[in-house]
Amino acid sequence: MTVQERIAADDLKVGDFIARGAAEALPRAYGEALLAAAGRHPELVCLCADLTLSTETDLFQERYPERFFHAGIAEANMMGMAAGMARSGHIAFAHTFSVFATRRAYDQVAMQVAYPRTAVKIAGFLPGLTTLLGVSHQAIDDVALMRALPNMAIVEPATAEQIPAIVEAACLRDGPVYLRMRRAARAHRPELARAEFAFGKGRVLREGRDAVIFACGLMVASALDAADALAAQGVDVAVVDLASIKPLDTELVRAMAARCRVVVTAENHSIVGGLGSAVAECLAEEGGAAPLRRVGVRDVFAEGGSTPYLMKKYGLDAEAIAAAVRDGLAAGRGAA
Amino acid sequence: MEAHPLPYSPDLTERLGQRARELRCDVVRLVAATGQGYVQQGLGAADLFAALYGAELRYRPQEPAWPERDRFFLSTAHNSAVFGAALAQNGLMARELMLSYCQDGSTYEINMSERLGSVVEATCGSLGQGLSVAVGAALAARMRQGRTPRCYVMLGDGELQEGQVWEAAMAAGHYALDNLCMIVDWNRMQVQGHVDEVMRMDPIPDKFRAFNWAVREIDGHDMDAILQALAWARATQGKPSLILARTLVGKGAPSLEGIFGHNMKLPAEMARRALEELGAPAPAAEGVAP
Repeated sequence: MTVQERIAADDLKVGDFIARGAAEALPRAYGEALLAAAGRHPELVCLCADLTLSTETDLFQERYPERFFHAGIAEANMMGMAAGMARSGHIAFAHTFSVFATRRAYDQVAMQVAYPRTAVKIAGFLPGLTTLLGVSHQAIDDVALMRALPNMAIVEPATAEQIPAIVEAACLRDGPVYLRMRRAARAHRPELARAEFAFGKGRVLREGRDAVIFACGLMVASALDAADALAAQGVDVAVVDLASIKPLDTELVRAMAARCRVVVTAENHSIVGGLGSAVAECLAEEGGAAPLRRVGVRDVFAEGGSTPYLMKKYGLDAEAIAAAVRDGLAAGRGAA
Repeated sequence: MEAHPLPYSPDLTERLGQRARELRCDVVRLVAATGQGYVQQGLGAADLFAALYGAELRYRPQEPAWPERDRFFLSTAHNSAVFGAALAQNGLMARELMLSYCQDGSTYEINMSERLGSVVEATCGSLGQGLSVAVGAALAARMRQGRTPRCYVMLGDGELQEGQVWEAAMAAGHYALDNLCMIVDWNRMQVQGHVDEVMRMDPIPDKFRAFNWAVREIDGHDMDAILQALAWARATQGKPSLILARTLVGKGAPSLEGIFGHNMKLPAEMARRALEELGAPAPAAEGVAP
């Protein structure tokens, strides 16, 4: 059987929209991290809105059936249920796609999770454009929505390696956390194999004097690729992973921006309200004068397609990031 | 109280009836102080609150966050006058705090929020959310060692129009949550008028039976019927229970009975008359101007 035939055969039975088409079996970093956390935290419970394979919670269901709860295709109720369990002493992890965790259940998340600071950890998958399923399933505004909620923390791991530390940090943090995650192969870059995470802390993956790219999620790897390409052209670019989108490491953002001539943000999300907005707000309040370029979905709805295709078409790939850096540098020179 | 639920007796019925009348007087006083509010719903639900806090729910007034307490969620959080009056009547809220109802800075808001403390088990007010939280609490209660707390939630019949209610009803039925009891304050009133004219909800019992609930309809002003229904709900196994309590808005003050007004004006003269009809002591004795 060829690889393609084997994948096609798997597609018939896995029922997992994310694994479909993957060239190799995806690691189950989140599912395994949740299992490990469940071992350390007996009060941890898991709720899922009919997506165990896509959210890797089938592992939890199998190991801890008495702590696993189907919510059915009913996300609004799931958020309320999770809050009720959290109010009773549990750490409740609620799972669905990012788009449904936010758009569909926003009022419930606001009133039963964010306002009362219940220990509900919302794990959303299919961030941004990373799905064939198209506009109905693409979460291009989830960070904006969650960021607008007081008390809500937002995390988007750059790689699978970071996920165990993030899940544990989420368990230990009082109150709600929104985990925005993508099922993906492990990192192939050594800089990304590091596993540390702390809320409110960014990490500098690469130093540089000319420009700084603030990125999160899968855009971190693209930012590093862009930095490599720019280095070959004599442009020295720093790359910072801001996995903790809220709280934001404002100190690091200001310090890095102060050292560079251009600031670029890169996110798999609308440029309205997400990481780019957070960085812009932070720097504008500081009075920062470096040109800012935001790479992201440019206030449009997208379409279904493969991730590389969509990233290219909507200007979210490494080349688009590099172009934004060059554009910012040119603008800076023009001003001087 | 911790000794709840109290065993049924004719004497208990009489006592609770008297306490319901006191709740009604407080509802009128509280709403009159602001000139407008949820007086009609409060008068309508007073018997249910008198029974719940006076005889059914297990709690410790000195330890409101007692982990084994029964949970009560008021999904119609705007029905706050009667809820607060019931909390005050049963030692769960200071009377002075009750009298600060709706004043700027008071933790006793017109939509009950948990700023008031753990006696407000969840901040509702955005209609349709209370049952979901109660379902989660009931699931969690079942996982506890030892005694399983019971979870009670009160909804309005207009509120049943919210889709989330049916998601939660589906989950409660699916999980066979027999420690969950929903009371629907079936007063037929919503903002725009009669529920079945705005958006027909009948037949409510059939809808919930189809979702695997045990259903009982009662007269929500017949204290014997309320107590018996709560006992029936406690004895129900393998299903969540729904008590559909037919209530009359404005009940107890003939000059207000049956008047549909969601957020009704209550001028001093109307309040005075209602208090008179309720047999309230003279206003001076209470220190609150109606």
